[in-house]
Amino acid sequence: MTEGPFMAMKNIDKSFNGVTVLRNVNLDVEKGEIHALLGENGAGKSTLMNILGGVHMPDNGSVYIDGEQVKMLNPRISQEQGISFIHQELNVVADLTVYENMFLGSELRNKIGFLKVEEMCKETHDVLATLGVDVDPKEYVRNLDTSYKQLIEIAKALLRKSRVIIMDEPTTSLTEHEVDRLFELMRNLRKTGVSIIYISHKLKEIKAVCDRFTVLRDGKVVGTGSMDAESPETITKMMVGKAVSQERFVHGDPFGPVIMEISGLSSEGLFKNINFSLRKGEILGFTGLAGDGRTELFESIFGYRRKYTGEIKINGKSEKIDHPRKALRAGIGFVPKNRKENAIIKDLSVIQNMSLSSMGNFENMGFLRDSIEKERFKHYKGLLNIKVHNPQITIDKLSGGNQQKVVIAKWLEANTEILIFDNPTQGIDVGAKQEIYQEIVSLSEMGKAVIVLSSEAPEVIKICHSINVMYHGEITARFNGEDANEEEIMQYATGSKKEVEKIG
Amino acid sequence: MDSIEAKEYKPKSSTAKTRLSWLWSEYSVIIAFVIIFIASAILSPRFLDMNNQLNILMQVSIIGIIAMGMTVVMLSGGIDLSVGSVLALAGVISVLALNASGSILVGVFTALLVGSFAGFLNGLMVAKGRIASFIATLGMMAAARSIALYIADGGSVSGEVAGFTAISNSDLWIFDVPVIIFLVMTAGVYMLMHKTRFGRYVYALGSNEKAALLSAIRVDRIKIGVYTLIGSLVGIAAVIETSRLNSISSSSSGAQYELDAIAAVIIGGTRMTGGRGKIIGTLFGVLILGILNNMMNLMNVSPYLQGFVKGLIIIIAVVFQKRE
Repeated sequence: MTEGPFMAMKNIDKSFNGVTVLRNVNLDVEKGEIHALLGENGAGKSTLMNILGGVHMPDNGSVYIDGEQVKMLNPRISQEQGISFIHQELNVVADLTVYENMFLGSELRNKIGFLKVEEMCKETHDVLATLGVDVDPKEYVRNLDTSYKQLIEIAKALLRKSRVIIMDEPTTSLTEHEVDRLFELMRNLRKTGVSIIYISHKLKEIKAVCDRFTVLRDGKVVGTGSMDAESPETITKMMVGKAVSQERFVHGDPFGPVIMEISGLSSEGLFKNINFSLRKGEILGFTGLAGDGRTELFESIFGYRRKYTGEIKINGKSEKIDHPRKALRAGIGFVPKNRKENAIIKDLSVIQNMSLSSMGNFENMGFLRDSIEKERFKHYKGLLNIKVHNPQITIDKLSGGNQQKVVIAKWLEANTEILIFDNPTQGIDVGAKQEIYQEIVSLSEMGKAVIVLSSEAPEVIKICHSINVMYHGEITARFNGEDANEEEIMQYATGSKKEVEKIG
Repeated sequence: MDSIEAKEYKPKSSTAKTRLSWLWSEYSVIIAFVIIFIASAILSPRFLDMNNQLNILMQVSIIGIIAMGMTVVMLSGGIDLSVGSVLALAGVISVLALNASGSILVGVFTALLVGSFAGFLNGLMVAKGRIASFIATLGMMAAARSIALYIADGGSVSGEVAGFTAISNSDLWIFDVPVIIFLVMTAGVYMLMHKTRFGRYVYALGSNEKAALLSAIRVDRIKIGVYTLIGSLVGIAAVIETSRLNSISSSSSGAQYELDAIAAVIIGGTRMTGGRGKIIGTLFGVLILGILNNMMNLMNVSPYLQGFVKGLIIIIAVVFQKRE
């Protein structure tokens, strides 16, 4: 600290249309440190980073790099200062190859303007090698997993000799194994003197990799300091403004009769010989790494995928489900993952998103009645604590947590006996997460049968009565919620242990 | 639904400027219509003449009916290029049926049937065959025109039943019958899109097909319904077109109708990729095109230049709507 921080943002104020987003915010990042930027959705993290990235101009305050004041007038200046921003939505072009993406906009050319393909491939290969990735530079990006796309973005930042890399929730689409690799990489970068600003909701990850942290709440800095000095609980408290319970939500409630029985469900290359049964009032968890087939399994049970064999029995009756509509009739509801692509209709209003799966409830002589829709929405707004002033606005204007609540309301209105949640808390801030957990638990207490899919083991441990672990399309282990612990789940999820015989 | 939504949506900071820009983004086509209307009234004294006004309505009625169907198709995220050809085919076959049976009712039903069937086939290709709507309806466009030409041997066919021409050439009060059909169809499609679940599903499907499917909507059936709907509207338009001159040309009738209909929908503010747009917008889009045609005739603009002006208006309309 003798010569001051490497990058400093001082007294930043910013407001949009008279609404203050940032108030007197200070952020110091040392050379070669990993700095966690924390806060709930809407706390102002993205705005602050967009100021650093030159996307927005601050109303007040200034940015210093290496002690010198820099005016970030546009993204280009920011880039020239060695700042790279890796967005949550990856900016890679799927129809180009790896090396073309790496050099997009700054291609190497020879004197007469032809591309120096081999040289670019070689550099790409070298950079990727330092990241411990073995990918053919001439492979098309569309053929790669999401995690590789992430790595390409990071490699791009390295190629540009970045001094500060901003990572906005980089682990959302990564498996735990890939997360570990990313962290390894971040530690290596730290050694070479690169500073990283790491934005995430996942406190465990932050604890594992970050040196210092800054917490924003409602546009103000509410805490900053060394990571070692604080417990995750106190940091969570800073973010939310209140303590959040870390305990299990469910207890051994008595279950009702079996409502769904799955036997011998298989689909070529996706999952094989899946057997399980689900009781009323039960919350059944499924977890595993990416590519374990759990999403595909339940998309099949919901009729979105049709190519599968085996039997689905609902209330003792065998059902042939080859369309989501049939699943709905059989009493299955499905809250899919990737809310933006799969669950919300962004051009429809909040109310219309709520009513979409059960239009019949709002009809009178074949015509829709707005008044009934409004009435029902009011009900769910209170029940699920949906924060929206005017439910006639389109749903994309709500925060992730509130969008998810509307999607849940849609399925509650459809009133299905069975509800499947796929990654229900993806991209949702801590406070709203707890509410969603509580809602899922209270659904089971109402006698609904619930299935929760999640890539985060702690999540299923927290809210499920029993947990299935999947690996390569098979169920490899089954735990009671109380007995499960993360380490053991990971052993089955990574395939290092298998317990098929126990399943029977 | 959308119009209600528009009225109740209040921007957070209600300064005059944001209010104005909101008004513009929601009702730009109506504002444009009013401006063009006033400008026309100033430029040509004959424009405001009642007969001229009714004449404009009469001239846009056929394209207007087709544009209503096109709005639905485009809201669903598709497009239908075959409307002009299908109109010619439905016209030719209906005249043959009319002449053979001697019954006007049979003629009208035949046109509806041919139009709906062609639309149904389009829908099947798009929904079940998973062919891009542009390609599927391009194929239908070529095929329908070809069959029409073959049946009519490349020429025109004329009705031989007295009274058939009355459909397009009689009035109800001061309105021509085609105008009334157009307005009734507009009201019908409006109700369908804003007051029934079919309409809601079309918006949902056009905005996010995967999410619509995962919301347990029968996406395939909705698509087939959408193309069948425009097909039947084209059938109605074919009856009006045929009845007007008591004949239909297999080679030139309906030519470029798809362009006018799409233009009206675009001017009306419907998004090309679907999910967003209004029936009322298309109504005013149709009227704007009608007024422009009318004014160019009144002001003796060369017919060769009229396409240029139309093209210009479409592009200006889209530029102004590119606010997202």
